[in-house]
Amino acid sequence: MTALLSRWRTLVWVAPAVALLVVFVYYPIVDNVRLSFFSWSAFEPTPVFVGIENYRVAFDDPVFWRALFNNTAYAVVSLVFQVGFSLVLAAVLEEFVHQRLRGILRTIYFIPATISITVAGILFSFLYNPQFGLVNRLLTAVGLESWNHAWLGEKSTAIWSIIAMSQWQSIGYTAVLFVVAIQRIPREYYEAVRVDGAGPVRTFFTITVPMVREMTTLLVILTVSGAFLVFNEVMVMTAGGPDNSSHVLNTWLYRNAFFEDDMGYAATIATVIFVITFIVAVVQLAVARRRRIEW
Amino acid sequence: MPTQLLRRGVIAAAAAALLALTGCSGAKDGGSAPAPKLTVTGEKSGTLSIVTKFADPKYAPYFVSVAKAYEAANPKVKIDLQQVGDQPYKDKIRVLSAANKLPDIYFSWAGDFANKFVRAGLAADLTSVMGPDTEWGKTFTPASLKAFQYDGKNYGIPINLDGKYLAYNKTAFTKAGITSPPATFEDLLSACGKLKSAGYTPIALGNQFGWPAIHYITQLNAYDVPAEQLAKDYDPASGAFTDPGYITALQQFKTLADTCSNPSANGLSHEAAQANLVSGKAAMQYIESLEFQVLTAKGGAPKELADNWSFMRLPASASAPGDTKALTGAPDGFMVNAKSKQTALAVDFLKFFSNQQNASKIVKDLGWLSPVTGSVSNENAFPQLVDTLKDMGQASQFAIWLDTVTHAEVASAYLSGVEGMLNGDRSPQQVMQGVQQAAAKAKKQAG
Repeated sequence: MTALLSRWRTLVWVAPAVALLVVFVYYPIVDNVRLSFFSWSAFEPTPVFVGIENYRVAFDDPVFWRALFNNTAYAVVSLVFQVGFSLVLAAVLEEFVHQRLRGILRTIYFIPATISITVAGILFSFLYNPQFGLVNRLLTAVGLESWNHAWLGEKSTAIWSIIAMSQWQSIGYTAVLFVVAIQRIPREYYEAVRVDGAGPVRTFFTITVPMVREMTTLLVILTVSGAFLVFNEVMVMTAGGPDNSSHVLNTWLYRNAFFEDDMGYAATIATVIFVITFIVAVVQLAVARRRRIEW
Repeated sequence: MPTQLLRRGVIAAAAAALLALTGCSGAKDGGSAPAPKLTVTGEKSGTLSIVTKFADPKYAPYFVSVAKAYEAANPKVKIDLQQVGDQPYKDKIRVLSAANKLPDIYFSWAGDFANKFVRAGLAADLTSVMGPDTEWGKTFTPASLKAFQYDGKNYGIPINLDGKYLAYNKTAFTKAGITSPPATFEDLLSACGKLKSAGYTPIALGNQFGWPAIHYITQLNAYDVPAEQLAKDYDPASGAFTDPGYITALQQFKTLADTCSNPSANGLSHEAAQANLVSGKAAMQYIESLEFQVLTAKGGAPKELADNWSFMRLPASASAPGDTKALTGAPDGFMVNAKSKQTALAVDFLKFFSNQQNASKIVKDLGWLSPVTGSVSNENAFPQLVDTLKDMGQASQFAIWLDTVTHAEVASAYLSGVEGMLNGDRSPQQVMQGVQQAAAKAKKQAG
């Protein structure tokens, strides 16, 4: 009797959150997969069932593959900078920077993360302006005029310029998180390793990196799924152009849904995004479970 | 463990139930709705919802003031006016259509953009109150009424007139030794050479979101493709785009961009390029007459430019086979939601909106051209605007913007294709291949 009552009590406490999740997360996901099998526009009275035709179209669509490539590039670069470089930055902040400077520097690095993505996007659009933008002016000033580009206007540089802006914005955020993780490491380890005669680099790789691996796992999941969910930066800076070269999956989805009125195809792209981020998260969590830290 | 299983079971069951439910729902009510009432009987009362794309602080106050004036004249009426920006409007209106929550009055561009609403049964047929033979209809210029006709019926009221012109700096022309505006396309190219020698960027071009180049292509298509063929191709049900004139148009634009414009046009926004025109570094820019206000003293232009500019049409090539009197442009308009319960009140508001007083006010406050005949005069409009109206009167027809006149897939293929062509990544033939593929897809969808 008490066991049954306690089970029901658990259910009651959990039910509201579960209800919210079901209505706002699970149901849309399931319905989205269903919609991807239809051809449907905002202006058509009824959706038309087309089976896996939308997926076949996606397979043959060069912009879809370009968008997937752009998302992957985003993920790889973000991992290198927002996880790799950021960890180094956090370690330097904690080990080599004077106590008083630490707080100020942390704040300075963190400020870009507090700026709205849209504002940052517009700001960088000015920086990248081919005629009066600071990037080109700076390159000319140091004699590198041949490196001047229309950063957001050329196929080869557009997506990379956007990725660069994103790194500027998020490195401080991940660095601060790593700082928190590093501060949890007991000082004894560092003292012990110093006694053993290890230099700073050795210390970093043998003590710091392994001891923050839970935070690293979390940030890898966040960074990679964030890279596949990116939308604002691209929309504000290039809207996917020029010539569809800087589209990411989300902006291509948006374009198909709200400009080309092909909601079914947009649902297909959304399903693909879901599958990718789901797989990434599952793989990450499976790997992480095997490597918990025991303090 | 059992609790976990139980929880998972509940979630799975809920999801399955919802899935089954959604399979059942989705059947929209068929059956034709009765024809909407278009004349108000009795006292005017109720709430009217309006969504426009004029959130820009240059334009928004005008619409707010008209709504307030109507409310003051009809105390029992409340107007719920929502204004969003140009780009967000395109998605907002689609979301509202899909959710069946269209407002009573909504903004629309002319062309297939408006026709989509008509085909979906979302636009009220206003022919009985505003057809060319009715009292209200006669207050509009015939060309503006035509832009919102579909299958011979009127579905939208035009609220402004907009044409695309090459605005030019007269001082720059004089300095470069150009005595009269170039009459043919070839003359324009040689004029660009002269302007370059005089130290100006001949034509400022900022193509960041693709539509500025598309406006050029709209005009060149109208010049280089015979009018009948053009109309057939722009109709989604019969579009083929195989006429060689389309390639000529693209080649002409590429030549123009290479000879006359600044490099890196794809990386510059239209507004940033306009700054070059306003500051006197560029001699011309292809802009809409709605933007002319920016070049006047009232709009903030420096004195050197404000008193010294004029405009001309983009000249056609000497041997162009198309309609050389067509003018790129279109009216913008408002349409009435066919499924609204306030269609009569909506029509009444639109009549108020387009009366002489408000039409003159739009000319004075916003520097727009109103499609209401007789609303533009030297008292409320700057001289170039009066000349614009005269020039529009001589146009044989409006060549509606390529990105709204035809199916969205074709528009998209043109937008990205021309961007690629500007960068040198695509040839005109490749662009047209993409357009032809998109047209075939659109035909399948329409058929």
